[in-house]
Amino acid sequence: MCRADEHPEPREAGAGASTDAAFTALLEDSAEELYESAPCGYLSTLMDGTIAKINATLLDWLGLERETVVGRKRFADLLTVGGRLYHETHFAPLLQMQGEISGIALEMKTCGSDRLPVLVSSAVKHSSDGEPLLIRTTVFDASDRRAYEQELLHRKQDADEARRQAEEAREQAEADRSRLQEALAVLQQSLLPASLPAVPGVETAVYYHTASPDRLGGDFYDLFPLDGKRWAFFLGDVCGKGPQAAAVTSLTRYTLRTAALHDPDPVAALTTLNSVLHDRYTGGDPRYCTAIFGVLEPDPANDCVTVRLASGGHPPALVARSDGTAALLPTPGGFLVGALAHAHFASTTTELHPGDTLLLYTDGLTEARTGPDRTSLYGDDALLAFVTDHAGAPPEEMIQALAGLLRGLGDGVDDDTALLALGSPAHTSAHSPATSHLR
Amino acid sequence: MSPLKIAARDAATGPVLHILGDLDYTTAHQLRAHLTALTLRRGQRLVLDLARLDFCDSSGITVLIAAHNQATAAHATLVLAAVPDNTLRILRIVGLDQLFPLYADTTAATST
Amino acid sequence: MMLAGGRMNPMDVRRRNNVVVTGRADGPVVVLAHGFGCDQNMWRLVVPALADHYRVVLFDYVGSGRSDLSAWSEERYAALTGYAQDVVDLLEELDLRRVAFVGHSVSAMIGLLAARAVPERIGSLVMVAPSPCYIDDDTYRGGFSAEDIDELLASLESNYLGWSAEMAPVIMGNPERPELGEELTNSFCATDPDIARVFARTTFLSDSRDDLKTVTVPTLVLECAHDAIAPREVGAFVHAEIAGSTLVTLPATGHCPQLSAPQATSAAILLFLEHTQ
Repeated sequence: MCRADEHPEPREAGAGASTDAAFTALLEDSAEELYESAPCGYLSTLMDGTIAKINATLLDWLGLERETVVGRKRFADLLTVGGRLYHETHFAPLLQMQGEISGIALEMKTCGSDRLPVLVSSAVKHSSDGEPLLIRTTVFDASDRRAYEQELLHRKQDADEARRQAEEAREQAEADRSRLQEALAVLQQSLLPASLPAVPGVETAVYYHTASPDRLGGDFYDLFPLDGKRWAFFLGDVCGKGPQAAAVTSLTRYTLRTAALHDPDPVAALTTLNSVLHDRYTGGDPRYCTAIFGVLEPDPANDCVTVRLASGGHPPALVARSDGTAALLPTPGGFLVGALAHAHFASTTTELHPGDTLLLYTDGLTEARTGPDRTSLYGDDALLAFVTDHAGAPPEEMIQALAGLLRGLGDGVDDDTALLALGSPAHTSAHSPATSHLR
Repeated sequence: MSPLKIAARDAATGPVLHILGDLDYTTAHQLRAHLTALTLRRGQRLVLDLARLDFCDSSGITVLIAAHNQATAAHATLVLAAVPDNTLRILRIVGLDQLFPLYADTTAATST
Repeated sequence: MMLAGGRMNPMDVRRRNNVVVTGRADGPVVVLAHGFGCDQNMWRLVVPALADHYRVVLFDYVGSGRSDLSAWSEERYAALTGYAQDVVDLLEELDLRRVAFVGHSVSAMIGLLAARAVPERIGSLVMVAPSPCYIDDDTYRGGFSAEDIDELLASLESNYLGWSAEMAPVIMGNPERPELGEELTNSFCATDPDIARVFARTTFLSDSRDDLKTVTVPTLVLECAHDAIAPREVGAFVHAEIAGSTLVTLPATGHCPQLSAPQATSAAILLFLEHTQ
């Protein structure tokens, strides 16, 4: 550290002398020497591309002899085929239009079969009267830069490919999902009658609310003739969701139809269904349903319809009367259908007079959430009050009102809901006061 | 909606399971798996304590019936203790209140 | 091949293909079509010579130059018929008949397809440095192998980084920029790399050799003496296949005689047009 202070003069003098010598050497470096040995390639061509002059650096890079190049090759001949195509379609036209072009990435052929990535800039030299004379071109070795760019490009290609695959997978999943939903919708429709048959002297209406298109619902209903005078109907709810539940629903529907033709007594029909389900689904994976099964017998002479029904574990039916009242039709003690080998079913009978409507429903409605959690459900009492309010309304109007109610409950209805209303038509001459209060 | 929790212990009468939370479509398989792993001996009483059961839907009912079938097959009995009102209402609708012995609480259910 | 017409609104075609009409308003119509690589600026040195007597129509194919890139789709432009449809749209919407269609490079084949689709609208063809097929096969010398074309695609890719960084914001961001006179460096040949790749493939992998025989209109084949893309053998092939065609070899080097030898190019075109009028 101190030595510089001890001998300052000789050192300064020496350093000064060597700097001067370096400058002298630099100044003596001729322009020709600089051209030939510059750290980049130089070449000059005629306007048609014929090489007129080329420096040693570029010849060295390409492993070529001057005499095989000058006057014999065109600039494009030094390029790879791909580079030549790019030169002809982009580089040359741009140079001719602009008079110069810079920083174009090309590849040159070297004497082996190697390629040298280069960055090329060219400018046209014009004569004093503006005629183009020759093209001056500078060539930089771009191996490192190109390697880096290739890396970037590969990453971009990889990323593009990954994105494309992800997009494809997403589209496939979307397509699978919509195909599945289509299949589910078809299956769901097969579980329900396409339309209800006309029953003389009885008005009917139904509504089915699907909570989720992904989960096959287990609610079902049907109405069909038994003989010339009587019709059977049923409505129920199979426990669970999905394909297994749908299979039970299908079995239930056809069992009840068959049983009813054999013996239309409601308790007998449910007992048959119980045996079938219990035998089919036994052990650790019990499958069962709740159902109300009934028989309608219109009596035109007395202007009334007799209804006999039995319930297996199903919420009680409601009857709305033309006088503006409504009541539960209790069937206490009726068992789930299919859960036990020997089940008890309770039956009851009522008569529908003009303006009376019988309503069957599944618990999707009564179990619908009215608040943020399951502590507040719509409930039986609210339903009874609602139906009382609409007592006297014909089945279609009753169902429309209930459908509106379901829509109002929105996301709170997280289970499928089936509604079936059967009514004895009010006399058309008399305008029911209960109907008018709806409006 | 609350998750399902199951706490098990053994009483002199047999296993006791405390069921907490919601027993529904999304959680019923947990109780089912728990029951499947359970070994019941002849004459034992399987107690399901429902005091802190917040919600039970038809999937929950299915597991109760499966438990009943399992107990019956082992010559054991399934009983329910401290059934909350909302679940009791459902059991009544589907007739299961006639099938399962119901006790006010686990103490009553495990007294011999 | 089915080329449909009459669906576009004229303003849409004009904007979509950046159509420029210049020259003598009541003169016979000459349509100048650029090839793969650049855009209608390729013709800037020959337009003055044509403009005195002819109504000159210039345009950019969708995907090139200042065309509406949003109108581009790989489906349509992965075949030469897609580009020919641009020509048909243009001729129909401007209601041009019996035009002289001057197509450079791949546009020579595009013009041939358009002439077949709407024969009443194209009265003659000028094919500048045409090649019906760039790839060699058993008996035909196109000058390239399939691997060579892959190399070109790689060259496009390696110049794409520069394009993306410098050109994209300008071209994509301000299509309606006011300072149109002030050209950007390299912008004539700047293209979205995905679009350029499709055009390159369509151009260099196409094979229109069988179509040459279907040409029935007067045709001028203009080849260059030294063309690295369309060699003399190819010019001779095109001339031989198109019955009654005229072959002119320009004293020019490279693939773009309209830039490297504009006077000779326009003189040859004018001479041909005079004889076919």
